[in-house]
Amino acid sequence: MGDEGERLRTINEINEKIKRGDVVVLTAEEMIKLVESSGLEVAAKEVDVVTTGTFGAMCSSGVFLNFGHSDPPIRMTKCWLNDVPVYKGLAAVDGYLGATAMSETRGFDYGGGHVIEDLVSGKEVVLRAESYGTDCYPRKYIETTITLEDINQAILVNPRNCYQRYDAATNSSDRVLYTYMGTLLPNYGNITFSGAGQLNPLCKDPNYETIGIGTRIFLGGGIGYIIGEGTQHSPGAGYGTLMVKGDLKQMNSRYLRGASFHRYGTTLYVGVGLPIPIINMRVARTVALRDDEIFVNIRDYAVPSRPDLRPVVKRVSYAELRSGKVYLGDKSVPSSSLSSYKIAREIAETLKKWIQEGIFLLTEPLEPLPREREFKPLKVKGRELYVKDIMKRDVVTARPGEDVKEIAARLVEKGIDHLPIVDEEGKLIGIVTSWDLAKAVAYDKRRVEEIMTRKVITAFENEPVDVVVRRMSQYNISGVPVVDRMNRVIGILTTDDISRRVVEGGGVWQR
Amino acid sequence: MAKVKLIYSHRVVDKPILANVVLRTGVLINILEAKVNAQKGELIVSISAEGEKLKEILNLFREEGVEVQELAETLRIDWERCIACGACISPCPTGALKFKEDWSLEFEEDKCIGCRICVTTCPVKAINIP
Repeated sequence: MGDEGERLRTINEINEKIKRGDVVVLTAEEMIKLVESSGLEVAAKEVDVVTTGTFGAMCSSGVFLNFGHSDPPIRMTKCWLNDVPVYKGLAAVDGYLGATAMSETRGFDYGGGHVIEDLVSGKEVVLRAESYGTDCYPRKYIETTITLEDINQAILVNPRNCYQRYDAATNSSDRVLYTYMGTLLPNYGNITFSGAGQLNPLCKDPNYETIGIGTRIFLGGGIGYIIGEGTQHSPGAGYGTLMVKGDLKQMNSRYLRGASFHRYGTTLYVGVGLPIPIINMRVARTVALRDDEIFVNIRDYAVPSRPDLRPVVKRVSYAELRSGKVYLGDKSVPSSSLSSYKIAREIAETLKKWIQEGIFLLTEPLEPLPREREFKPLKVKGRELYVKDIMKRDVVTARPGEDVKEIAARLVEKGIDHLPIVDEEGKLIGIVTSWDLAKAVAYDKRRVEEIMTRKVITAFENEPVDVVVRRMSQYNISGVPVVDRMNRVIGILTTDDISRRVVEGGGVWQR
Repeated sequence: MAKVKLIYSHRVVDKPILANVVLRTGVLINILEAKVNAQKGELIVSISAEGEKLKEILNLFREEGVEVQELAETLRIDWERCIACGACISPCPTGALKFKEDWSLEFEEDKCIGCRICVTTCPVKAINIP
């Protein structure tokens, strides 16, 4: 075989075939089968276009709206659709409704994504807007209902869609986590993942030979265009993304669905499909990549760090993830997706049909997307405040055999609320708070071990204070013993220590 | 086959009532979910019996002071809303939710214990327990 980059066919030639009605289009799944049965050479020769698809939660999505002017007119400075705030830092009656904006009255249950779905399904949506009134825009308040048909423009512009692939998630902690990766059960109870793998558009042309600015695509059931690289585009590492746009008025709510992740927030499921013209052998080869050749990391969401710093538990293929169980060590852990493979497949099929019927022509990219891009973390001014910075080091402790009365006296004398209980090696075995002492009086208990709480929530000295504050509020407690890796008590952190810090003006950061 | 919730108050929680019912009737009772402590017990069981026989078994529990709730329906899935994403599948503790060959969702009612984890997990609110 010669040069992999040698041109097999041009976009123009393919478009001529589409117009004549003799173009050969396969979905990515069909292409994989053909390559397996007849070999790459034959498949590349026979097939003109391969269609792809994905249908998943894509938070960086939203719609630009122009409502038209009322009479008298209003320069909307604040605006809501079904109580979901619309971004109004634009001209008088222009706004941007983001998928993750949440309803001010319904919270997690309803957000921008749901408004977009409602608009696309033709439903009436309540528009409410405020202003301060100007000479040219005297009106200060308006409330009315609109439908998609009523408004001038509704242009879906999604800054980041269509992740090439996405790291999977699991949870090593001892409690359930509710994340944007869905419900993660304790003790590696399950694994969730996202992305259509072998149907995923950007996995099929990872060298961006056919995908670029101006590429016409399937978007939300209508026709859309790639307008550039997506935010966080990180093609070098295999995590490319797209920025896309399309006319919402042509779209279909089957492929644009409002969604909410329990205790996380709202989002929009977006359907995207790309046609990949088989312009050379290299594209033919990458377009036939299978689930078992596309790998992602499984990360531990129990560690509340930056996504790329969450520990990698295992590297797995989409085939393994999609099989429904993944081995972590010798434990078989159930895995399931958050994106819909069924609808991804439907999108690839629909796009194939559009091309075969001659209603969708391919485009030559005006400019390729960058193949290298650094994905940087946020530069944070000052130093994050850690537990060790504000914890009290002179901890008063007690032993399990001590008398309740004596330790009550100790709490009063030292003016403290929390008394870690330690064994002879200084290791933490329980905690007594003033509340436990009330219990001792109520039930007439004498010894510390009869009243102490044995399951103690703790912190490490090198944890960020923010992380520990969240833990305290989750367990509804006002203090945590700080322990070393041997579970020996080395300090204590209470809400008093934290609020004192805030009152002193330091916030929880050092500036 | 009937699915039933048995609620034991602190007065009866330490008695081997279920074992006695099995021994007396010879009917198999499968424990699907159990939450038991010194104050209270809650079991979700499936009983391999129908009609009169089932009534008799449920009465045996009631006579021993166990509150019986028949779980007529488990989940209700709005198939129009379901996008077959799979978010409910791996959290399901009994494998009652799974993919079919064509990647649409399948619900095996017999396995469902009504734990509701899928209700909160479903991103498009397609699952309910009436």
